[in-house]
Amino acid sequence: MSTVLSYVAAPEGVPTRASLEVLTRARQLAEAGGHRVAAVVLSTDAAASADVLGRYGAATVYAVSDAAFAEPLNAPAVQALADVMARADAALVLFPSTEGVKDLLGALAIRTDAAVLPDVVEVDWVDGGVGALRPVMASKFMARVRAEGSPVLVSMRAGSVEASEAPVEPTVENVSLSLDASAATLREIAGAAAGMVDLADARIVVAAGRGVKDAAAKALVEELAEVLGAAIGASRAVVETGVFPATAQIGQTGKVVSPDLYIGVGISGAIQHVAGMVGSRTIVAINQNADAPIFDVATYGIVGDLYSVVPALIAEIKKHKAG
Amino acid sequence: MRFCVCVKQVPDVTAPIQISGGQLSYDAGRVVLNAYDASAVEAALVLTAEHGGEVDVVLVGPERAAETVRKALAMGADRGTHLVADGELDSAAVSSLLAAVASGYDVILTGKQAQDSDAGLAGGMLAERLGLPYVTNAVGLAQEGDAIVVTRLGDAGQETIALPTPCLVTCSNDMNDPRIPNLKGIMAAKRKTIDTRPATDVPAARVTTLGYEPLPTRAAGRRLDGEPAAQAAEVVRLLADEASVL
Amino acid sequence: MDETFDCIIVGGGVAGLSAAMTLARADAKFLLVERGAWSGSKNVSGGVLWGRDLDRLVPNYWEDPEAGYERFVNHRRLTFMDEGAALTIDFKSDHFNETPYSGVTVLRSRFDAWLAGKVEEAIAASAHPDDSFLATDVLVRELIIEDGRVVGIRAGEDEFRAHCVILAEGVNNLLTRQAGLQTEYVPADGLAVGVKEVIRFDKKVLEDRFQLSEGSGLTNEFVGFATGGIEGGGFLYTNRESVSIGLVISMADLRKKGGPDAGITPYSLLTAFKQHPAVADQIRGGETLEYSAKAVSTGDMSIMPREVYGDGVMLAGEAANLVLNAGRAIQGMDYAMRSGILAAETAVEATKAGDHSKTFLAHYRTALDASYVMQDLRGFQQAVKVLHSPAMFEGVPRIACDFGREFFTVDNKPTRKAYQILRDVRKRHMGFWDLVKLGTRAGRAL
Ligand SMILES: Cc1cc2nc3c(=O)[nH]c(=O)nc-3n(C[C@H](O)[C@H](O)[C@H](O)COP(=O)(O)OP(=O)(O)OC[C@H]3O[C@@H](n4cnc5c(N)ncnc54)[C@H](O)[C@@H]3O)c2cc1C
Ligand SMILES: Cc1cc2nc3c(=O)[nH]c(=O)nc-3n(C[C@H](O)[C@H](O)[C@H](O)COP(=O)(O)OP(=O)(O)OC[C@H]3O[C@@H](n4cnc5c(N)ncnc54)[C@H](O)[C@@H]3O)c2cc1C
Ligand SMILES: Nc1ncnc2c1ncn2[C@@H]1O[C@H](COP(=O)(O)O)[C@@H](O)[C@H]1O
Repeated sequence: MSTVLSYVAAPEGVPTRASLEVLTRARQLAEAGGHRVAAVVLSTDAAASADVLGRYGAATVYAVSDAAFAEPLNAPAVQALADVMARADAALVLFPSTEGVKDLLGALAIRTDAAVLPDVVEVDWVDGGVGALRPVMASKFMARVRAEGSPVLVSMRAGSVEASEAPVEPTVENVSLSLDASAATLREIAGAAAGMVDLADARIVVAAGRGVKDAAAKALVEELAEVLGAAIGASRAVVETGVFPATAQIGQTGKVVSPDLYIGVGISGAIQHVAGMVGSRTIVAINQNADAPIFDVATYGIVGDLYSVVPALIAEIKKHKAG
Repeated sequence: MRFCVCVKQVPDVTAPIQISGGQLSYDAGRVVLNAYDASAVEAALVLTAEHGGEVDVVLVGPERAAETVRKALAMGADRGTHLVADGELDSAAVSSLLAAVASGYDVILTGKQAQDSDAGLAGGMLAERLGLPYVTNAVGLAQEGDAIVVTRLGDAGQETIALPTPCLVTCSNDMNDPRIPNLKGIMAAKRKTIDTRPATDVPAARVTTLGYEPLPTRAAGRRLDGEPAAQAAEVVRLLADEASVL
Repeated sequence: MDETFDCIIVGGGVAGLSAAMTLARADAKFLLVERGAWSGSKNVSGGVLWGRDLDRLVPNYWEDPEAGYERFVNHRRLTFMDEGAALTIDFKSDHFNETPYSGVTVLRSRFDAWLAGKVEEAIAASAHPDDSFLATDVLVRELIIEDGRVVGIRAGEDEFRAHCVILAEGVNNLLTRQAGLQTEYVPADGLAVGVKEVIRFDKKVLEDRFQLSEGSGLTNEFVGFATGGIEGGGFLYTNRESVSIGLVISMADLRKKGGPDAGITPYSLLTAFKQHPAVADQIRGGETLEYSAKAVSTGDMSIMPREVYGDGVMLAGEAANLVLNAGRAIQGMDYAMRSGILAAETAVEATKAGDHSKTFLAHYRTALDASYVMQDLRGFQQAVKVLHSPAMFEGVPRIACDFGREFFTVDNKPTRKAYQILRDVRKRHMGFWDLVKLGTRAGRAL
């Protein structure tokens, strides 16, 4: 029996929300197609997350533990995944669409002679192949695509499915590899501040744009995020000026987020930004220009000056939380 | 060093594009050099201006995409190769065609993704086909002796990675602001050679696009009026009661 | 390479591209510079190209399935409207189906790009395929003028020289002023503002709704409430899969009666126009693709440049104010085309004669005067005045609509004769003598 394999990103041993969503979908597709469902974790201590993965239905967990995975280099990951795919006889491999996955998907497809459907929002078996729906043209349209043959690699946008539990007792297969020495060498990582809510995984995102001009406005955005327990995102305009870190950029170039709630503060809604947030369930836009295109996608639009709207909003949310 | 930059002609996503009969339609004139590839060309030009070397560009696409090769030459690239192919090609097929042209260079640059397909695959695929080490989503590029030092944007932050040459790097537009060709560049480009030939041995696509659809429609939005305090109270009420997200 | 061109053309609109085509065919070495990212990207024309000059530039263009025009015009309407009603004169003739067509609708973004492609082909086939250039995305900052003579251009860091320069820069004619051919300030009276939307329809829906057959198209001009009591007119033209709809509004009148303070802007007028019952039904269900606004001359010759040529320089198209807006149609692209061709022909002759002085380039003026362009413009000066009189855009449409309302209303009252209705209607809106005066003036002018 072949396998539907689910790639799990588990920084510090904890699977990300997006990974559990993908595992959920893998489980459903395995059931529908009569396949086994398995998860693969590449980490310095890959077995650590096995319990959680079992809870979400991974019958087998391929745990590839190696010191190499402490560094975000693609060569060891490609090698390890190709190996696990062969071992598991993978017919379909699902990935969360993270930067790390984007970094290895193309090479892995060639290495394993797989067809690949990147960055989809829906995936299913269709007449002996794999069908998917994927946003294209800066998320202006959806393309209905189809891949033939086996294996097929599919990466899914966060928030495309709801993660659900289906507990099993997982079999952990510890995989040890002799990895080739990587030609690339890591010099350093200038990381994001610890303790920040990860953008792609966040349920609530507060995003700042060029309207957030000064330290006072930035402080308001940070306070709003804090009272909501939200991650902070940004438009390219304020990443370019260095006011917000590059990892906060949402959009075609930046990250794709699809939280339950996105609040855009002083963002005009250029197509390349909207590309990264149009999948959000509820969108609130705060902008002083009533004609800003962001209002075309907003569930609730507030035309007003952020310097007066955001403080009022913070006060109301505090009131709501208290009562 | 010798650079090869892979460039694609894509529809301008900011221009009107419609779906008719499941296919995309737009004015034939509204096509541009993929913005990410423009950044890749710029990066190669900056590095060769500083350290010496040359920059070749290669494009796979229909006859009319020659103007995009010309655009890269007008920016300052030295030579172009245009493999003429019509119709949709998936990233796997494109990378296979590119592999035949792009071997033998010190550094291959591609865009991090094509703005139309938003696939982001061809770079990694090409590297794998040529057996090269590679880095994706680069926001900075430097040359240190025989090595290329890349700053890339990863999930957790900026990673700085050194690559021996030959190697491949896929570029983000956050890396630089590509130059707009000046008149001298445009005129010089006309005298540069473009090696134009039909793409042969095009691999069968394993991925096909069945058709295009509009995005799922969002419920019409609502504008909240009044003073900031009233607007804030109303939106919080709606977020709690109607949207159930608070 | 010899750095001096035979000719430099500033502007890649209709005038510039027509000049370029003419130069390429004559094996001239030339440089055309367009500031837009591609030819057509900055152009807003509502779009009927009248006349047959396109066939001169691209022979048998209609045989090319990829040709850059939209539809040929064989069906014309003129609509008088008041607040709630409209009376339309409708004319259709198969005579217009014959090629070369006498009018085709165009969308400039597509048309200019196509024409530019044809010019590139002509350059490639000329004696100097590598020495003539169409350069886009480059702004010409200024002219190089030495001893009162235009000898080249400056763009960015670059300087280029030519024996002569054709300015085809359109309505915002900064370089024309640098050349000293136009006064610094053009009075607002001479300018109108054009606003336009392109609204997309399914091809089948479009053809059914406007009774179009494959390739044929309709034009509809509107007078009266189209511009909400502000001087101007409206238009609706059918394209392949869309309609262009818009207004041309007098800037002076807009400034007098409207302005953002009064809540009246070109955009608000266009919105009101689109909601008029006579218009709303025609565009229902369409999807707006693009909105644009641009200044356009009214065709008043009193604001034409002092001269259309100088030492080493010629003006073509709207840079020379060659536009006629006389109610039955806006003409500008056809004049741009002809003037571009004539200027380029003069440039070629000048190169042969080795003389690009003002004296020689005066031949351009002579040729332009002899052409239909100047004959039209001179002939219609009176019409321009009549059509821009309040009686024309307020009185006449009201009379027409009142007449229509009463004439076409069938109720249980004794039926009145048409002339009785007309008499009553006329009394309501205009003195008899006013109408007679207008009628005779218009009759003489048109
Ligand atoms: C290839 C490519 C890729 C790109 N990728 C991305 C991407 O991934 N992400 C991204 O974001 N952009 C991206 N961009 C850039 C994008 O086109 C826009 O330039 C950018 O998103 C604009 O950011 P902004 O909305 O913050 O700024 P602006 O467009 O300048 O908007 C600022 C807004 O703030 C409002 N404002 C100002 N002051 C106030 C106030 N006091 N109160 C309330 N409102 C106020 C203004 O009305 C305005 O609407 C990309 C561009 C290209 C060409
Ligand atoms: C709303 C509207 C509707 C119209 N409808 C019609 C119609 O139905 N029929 C008709 O015949 N006419 C119509 N016209 C008029 C017509 O559009 C113009 O008369 C015609 O476009 C003039 O052509 P041109 O080549 O002289 O100028 P343009 O078409 O304006 O071209 C000038 C070009 O020069 C470029 N340029 C300007 N300055 C520089 C510089 N410094 N450096 C480099 N490039 C520069 C511009 O980018 C532009 O592309 C309409 C106009 C408007 C505004
Ligand atoms: N047709 C093509 N010709 C040349 N390069 C291409 C082509 N398609 C893709 N590429 C390169 O591969 C990158 C990624 O493309 P994609 O995988 O389609 O997102 C692009 O940014 C280009 O650098």
